[in-house]
Amino acid sequence: MTAPAVTAARAPAAGTGLLRAVATKVLSAVVVLFFVATAAFFLVRLSGDPVKLILPPDATAEQEATLRASLGLDRPLIAQYLDYLAGLPRLDLGNSLVYDQPVADVLLTRVPATVELAAAALAVALVIAIPAGTFAALRRGRAGDSGVMAGVLVGQSMPAFWVGILLILVFAVRLQWLPASGYGGISHLVLPAITLALYSVAVIARLLRSSLIDVLGSDFIRTARAKGLGTGGVVFGHSLRNASLPVVTVIGLEVGTLLGGAILTERVFSWPGIGRLTVEAIANRDFPLVQAAVLFFAATFVVVNLLVDLSYTVLDPRVRVK
Amino acid sequence: MPGSRTHLSRRDALRLGGLAVPAFALAGCAGASAGSHGGLLRVAQSADPKTLDPHKQGDMTSMNVLINVFDTLTTRGADNTLAPGLATAWESPDPLTWRFHLRPGVRFHNGEPCDARAVEFSIDRLLDPATKSPIVELRYVTKATAVDELTVDLHTSQPDPIIPAKVSLFGGVVVPPRYLAEVGDAGFARHPVGTGPFTFVDFQRDHQLRLRANPSHWRGAPAVRELVFLPMPDPSSALASLQSDEVDLVANLTPDAALQIEGYRGVSIRNHPGIRTSYLSLDTTDGPLADVRVRRALNHAVDVPLLIEAVLDGKAREVPTMIPRESFGFDPAVTPFTRDVGLAKRLLAEAGYPDGFDTTLTAQATDANTAEAISGLLARAGVRARVSLLDPGTYSGRLTSDNRRALGPMYLAASTGWTLDGQSLVQSNVRHDRRQSRWTSAEADRLVDAEELTIPPAQRQRAFTELQQLLKREAPFVFLYQIDTIYAVNDRPRWEPGVVGVLAMASATVPA
Repeated sequence: MTAPAVTAARAPAAGTGLLRAVATKVLSAVVVLFFVATAAFFLVRLSGDPVKLILPPDATAEQEATLRASLGLDRPLIAQYLDYLAGLPRLDLGNSLVYDQPVADVLLTRVPATVELAAAALAVALVIAIPAGTFAALRRGRAGDSGVMAGVLVGQSMPAFWVGILLILVFAVRLQWLPASGYGGISHLVLPAITLALYSVAVIARLLRSSLIDVLGSDFIRTARAKGLGTGGVVFGHSLRNASLPVVTVIGLEVGTLLGGAILTERVFSWPGIGRLTVEAIANRDFPLVQAAVLFFAATFVVVNLLVDLSYTVLDPRVRVK
Repeated sequence: MPGSRTHLSRRDALRLGGLAVPAFALAGCAGASAGSHGGLLRVAQSADPKTLDPHKQGDMTSMNVLINVFDTLTTRGADNTLAPGLATAWESPDPLTWRFHLRPGVRFHNGEPCDARAVEFSIDRLLDPATKSPIVELRYVTKATAVDELTVDLHTSQPDPIIPAKVSLFGGVVVPPRYLAEVGDAGFARHPVGTGPFTFVDFQRDHQLRLRANPSHWRGAPAVRELVFLPMPDPSSALASLQSDEVDLVANLTPDAALQIEGYRGVSIRNHPGIRTSYLSLDTTDGPLADVRVRRALNHAVDVPLLIEAVLDGKAREVPTMIPRESFGFDPAVTPFTRDVGLAKRLLAEAGYPDGFDTTLTAQATDANTAEAISGLLARAGVRARVSLLDPGTYSGRLTSDNRRALGPMYLAASTGWTLDGQSLVQSNVRHDRRQSRWTSAEADRLVDAEELTIPPAQRQRAFTELQQLLKREAPFVFLYQIDTIYAVNDRPRWEPGVVGVLAMASATVPA
């Protein structure tokens, strides 16, 4: 995972090397997005005819033909594709077939809720996973380690729709502390953020544990201990930062997943996010909206990966340009 | 040491961060259960309206919201009969014209008058292909013309006896021409203006849609002061929201979802007669189903009352054919098939299938329970129907495809004939040339033509009576049930839905 960043950053000339590395990344991102856009365009059209879903079953064939023509879906596929490509640089992603609104508008109104939930879930995940992973690494092979790891595994194994309903039943229905669903103040955020975080907790905590165990066994830690440094100093002063490299990569991927993969959580909590919008768009065969959503997810992953690569130069002096 | 200082402060920051999460959570608790909400009615249904432009939607979920903002030319009274809406009277001066006399003095929420010109504009806008309207009922209407300020004619290309019923929902909505010219289609969809009992306040898609009572509505101000629609795709969490007092009414529940909440204090399940009618379509072109004795056998084998009791928790009513009781054309003299497995077996043996036969029953995945139960009932008579489940998109694509066998020999279908006229139930699947028809009968074609093309109700009723007798005799379908409208409420709202089940909340009351 880390290889490209390391090679790129190790390019000889200092500032220009980094610039060139970033430029290469951006260029390859554009190529990736082009292929994603193309794949999305053709794949979504395999799902069937949107007109069949927009019209009730008792529409006549003539009524279908009229609507198909006014939506431009009767034109040759290649003409539709070229139009779509031409619109991309201008961020003109077309009109939603169902909402009759520019898809960019439909999508952008969902971004705040999606980002809010992803950020909250990530915060919850880190707050639980970092202490849990660290604790488990220090208690390696002992009861504490097994207990914590079993705990996060249980969290990971429970499906979001079930955890969500369970949390709703306890905290909203029984205790009436928090709202059961919907979007609004911070109180609405708590239950979905916890539900969504549980999966990431396990991923991050387990990786941090193994990464920390590696670091704790290395020579410089033995030296640090030999100097008489206590556990706290060893962990916080020397180990965590060194163990964080793979963890940061995974957190980056988790951010991508949290931004796009909250479909079940969004459904259970009636959260107005992009995941739910995308599922509805797929069910409605709303081609332009599905295309735009796929591009959004792809772009999110590309940007997050770029940021992860750049973060290495901050975290690991060896990667930093000399 | 400077190094350890940084570490300490980082740790402090972490610790503070850790404390902040529960603190925020506790801060949020105060807002969770709202105290008083006098005059407020919060209604949850499975989704938001697709658009707020009434001409650009054709589904009941959207109509459920828009019927509160817009009025239609006709409407349904408490007894489900056609009643005056924006039109006070209507007649058919000749077979190709329907004349509507409009209610004087009605104004849109922006003050614009709702007159014959507005109706003319609305109908023509709906028919214009550029509007891309999914509303299909006005297929024979060619144009509308204002005769005078309060009289408007709808012209049709062929006689259409049920135009007044067809303008009681979707196609009957009247929109403001001047406002549309000012703000354009997109502006209108963002902030709709109608004549209805509620005015639009705001809409955040997938979050909430708020409406406020229109004090100058021609029927008088509704009792509900603020009406909020909440989209809740998951019935379990919608019902949880009802229990935690975030919603007052959860609409359109399935019987099994309703069962989840039965017995909880402060929450009750209401079911009212509905008209969504289910049946099995049989491919009568060849194979065992080409034999009328086999088709009758299937009708005798599927024990509909048992199906209703066991799978639908009793929340449905058996129908003799596919025309529900409340629809024009229903003839109570036509009775449901007797349920008799022995008779079914005898009929199958007579037709040459003493050991039954193998077939497929296709259904939407959402109807899995019903389909499995029907398959089980058929098995008692020896008919082994393998259940094949499809996602709704694939199902509806095949239902309306040119290949009439795309859904296999037998499929489970349902139809909501909101016009409350038998025509809506038989228009796509009985006459041999219609797209969902899998049966050829010259007699049926003649009767469908008679009810579709003659205006006088008495003649149409005769055609429907004969058609139902023929349907029962020839059994080109397995007739099932009309399902109830089911919703859950807390103890605040009082509301009686009509048989169509549309969420018109002008008649609802909540404590002030």
